[in-house]
Amino acid sequence: MEQPQDAPALATAFPAPPPFWQSFTKENLERLKELRAVQTPPSKDYDAAKELPLRILDLPPELRLLQPPDQPADGKYRLYGDIYDLKTPLGSLQEQNVEQLYTPPGSPSGGSKAENFDRAFILKKLAKSLLLNFLELVGIMAVNPGQDPNAPPPPDGQERHLHAYEEKIGDLQTIFLNFHHLLNEYRPHQARESLILMMQDQLEKSKAETQGIREMKEKVEGILEGLSQAKLAEAVEMNGKGDQDDLDGQDVWAELEKEFD
Amino acid sequence: MADRLTQLQDAADQLAQQFVASLYYVHKHHDYALLSPTDRLVTKNGGNTAQADDDIDPKPADVFKAGQRELAQDLILKEQEIEYLISQLPGLENSEKDQEQLIKQLEEELKAAEVERKEAVKEKEAVLAKLESVIRSVKRP
Repeated sequence: MEQPQDAPALATAFPAPPPFWQSFTKENLERLKELRAVQTPPSKDYDAAKELPLRILDLPPELRLLQPPDQPADGKYRLYGDIYDLKTPLGSLQEQNVEQLYTPPGSPSGGSKAENFDRAFILKKLAKSLLLNFLELVGIMAVNPGQDPNAPPPPDGQERHLHAYEEKIGDLQTIFLNFHHLLNEYRPHQARESLILMMQDQLEKSKAETQGIREMKEKVEGILEGLSQAKLAEAVEMNGKGDQDDLDGQDVWAELEKEFD
Repeated sequence: MADRLTQLQDAADQLAQQFVASLYYVHKHHDYALLSPTDRLVTKNGGNTAQADDDIDPKPADVFKAGQRELAQDLILKEQEIEYLISQLPGLENSEKDQEQLIKQLEEELKAAEVERKEAVKEKEAVLAKLESVIRSVKRP
């Protein structure tokens, strides 16, 4: 089952996923669920928000990896060989020595409605700037990549004069970084938004289920009612049924006799 | 499908890649221009080492134009995709406070719905028990 560890994996941008992803089959998940159901005391209501699913210690080896590990106790985790802190806040652009091209929108995704619209507006502006700057870059490259004829002379020669194309590429980079940064700031907002969507979904499902149960109940009640009425009717009929049968029989015989006469 | 923010970031990265690809195409496949009547084209083997390094592969004018056009179109399309994605960002109309309020409200509604659902289940079980007793009473005599 194990994939042979092949050499080209070293050349890919991201390492291959750890081999245990292969144990996440439907059957294995089903089995784990059953095992959990056996081990969880039925009286206790399981609250997913407060605790992780019960950890079962003596699992068969192929299921052992299906249990999520504990959360990192010290808040640090390792990703692609680097150690990260769970609580690292998103650094601001200034901290990363990148020029901020938009007016600071205050706390990310906080504040008033207008701010988020602003965010979309800024993003659109940045996207357009990207194209424009690229166009300018192409123009510079086409005519004279060395020097910008419109650039003012460097003040007092204190800075190394950049080639025009280097400047433009720097601009493009700044815009891209700004763009990504704005989007990253937006992530907590999107997370909340997803949560809202999920809750709405769940609410709808729960309501639909209740509705379904109610309808079923009504149906059964209707049947019960029908049954009891039918029974009554049957009981009434039972009393007069014998006579009726006889009568019917006579009718038939009478008809038959008429036919043969 | 990735979430919208990731899509948007991917699109931005793709745009950057397209920038590079466009420049590369123009750089690699442009034709040589004669700047004065006395110019003549020096081929790679003609001893011009600087150009031999560049490894330029000129395309016929019409093919080159078509290529440029396509790349430009792709750039515009990607740009439009980005703008569309921006306008589709989830919850632009909600502020953080709105969101928190909504979440709280939904939480309560969920609780109420759960209570109602449990009630319904109970009622259903009662009715089922009744039905069962009726069926049994029918069978017995």
